Amino acid sequence: MNEQVKRKILIIEDDKSLQNALSEMLAQEGYETSCALDGEEGLQKIKDEKPDLVLLDIILPKKDGYEVLAEIKKGEEKNTPVLILTNLEEVDNVQKALDLGATTFMVKSDFSLKDVLEKVKENLK
Amino acid sequence: MFLKFIDELDFVSSCRRYKLGLWQCPNFLFLVMAMITISSMIGTNYIARRYDDETVTVISVSLVTALIMIIGGFIIRGVEKIAEANIMKSEFISIISHQLCTPLSAIKWNLEVLETEKGMGDDNKLTPKQLIFLKNIEKSNERMLKLVNDLLEVIRIDQGRSVFVKEKVSLVQLTQEVIEDLGYLKAAKKVIVNLRDSSPLPRVFIDPKKMKIAMENLIGNAIKYSEEGGEVNVILKKEKKKVMFIVEDHGAGIPRYQHSQVFEKFFRSDNASRYRTEGVGLGLYLVRAILKNFSGEIWFESEVNKGSTFFVSLPIVDR
Repeated sequence: MNEQVKRKILIIEDDKSLQNALSEMLAQEGYETSCALDGEEGLQKIKDEKPDLVLLDIILPKKDGYEVLAEIKKGEEKNTPVLILTNLEEVDNVQKALDLGATTFMVKSDFSLKDVLEKVKENLK
Repeated sequence: MFLKFIDELDFVSSCRRYKLGLWQCPNFLFLVMAMITISSMIGTNYIARRYDDETVTVISVSLVTALIMIIGGFIIRGVEKIAEANIMKSEFISIISHQLCTPLSAIKWNLEVLETEKGMGDDNKLTPKQLIFLKNIEKSNERMLKLVNDLLEVIRIDQGRSVFVKEKVSLVQLTQEVIEDLGYLKAAKKVIVNLRDSSPLPRVFIDPKKMKIAMENLIGNAIKYSEEGGEVNVILKKEKKKVMFIVEDHGAGIPRYQHSQVFEKFFRSDNASRYRTEGVGLGLYLVRAILKNFSGEIWFESEVNKGSTFFVSLPIVDR
């Protein structure tokens, strides 16, 4: 647990109640969380806070998830795992995210918080 | 047969059903075209006899042809309008379903937080009664999510945008998981589900996640349309170069006259609502679409009040 305390996770999600549930669950597991409500804020926080992992929605105001992902992969933080968390499950959307370098793709309506937590743990090893 | 033909001639009501104006309605335009064609034949015959000059005949035939072509154009536009409305309807369902996904996922996740020990604060655990009501909300939410996900999956499959990640899988464990997941339904209807498998079962090349949706629908239907306390048999076996997955119930059954419609979108049998009011009729459509992707086949036998048996066959990938 101690080792996890330092792990910082950035949640870029424009739905407040999804964001709340996610960050509460991650906090309960001993992670430090930070949240952004749109793509631009998300990119700024990646630069400022240098999170260990990013949970990224696709449909976002200002800059969408694809743009955010592309910019992360071009910048200094390109090795930070980016886990996509969306409800767009179409093959073209999944492919686009993976092509841009997303670590994994999760569908909110299919995944429980526990499933998300597992993926986070898996990618923070 | 004759009545059906007369019915189709009643273009006013069919145009009203499509919500189209008379001159946009293919049924009406078709009738007009038929009348013009018939009268032009008679007319041409009359003109050809009456006038010796061939030019008159040629001009009159050309005029009628032009008229028929114009009406043909109207018909095409009418059909286009119906096709466009169909596309818009699919888009509308897609947008609404996507919009519903976020709040439904939020309800699911927030409930999950509440159910964790720390979710309620350290000394503020939920009472058993509160937990029951919380579970009720969760179940209703799961139902809504399933409906929305089914709708979205149908749209994705129709558009060829569904993700299929295929691998070599043995169906035994997958079937066990599905039966376990349907525990709540079994308990509610007090139905017993027997799994009979002849292992080792050869593997098949499928997407386990999608196959689970198909199996869930087939076994779920069998439970739903069984009498309380009934029995459902799920059989897995090898048959020649195929793996067979069979689901057998002794419940409602499907009336013979509706057998040809079973795999159509939004199909619900006439006697279904006596057993269960829920359901929109997407399940079997989805099942067949999914199986098609695995080169699988599905067929069934069914008799009212005796039950249904659904047969699924999937090609074996190894021995």
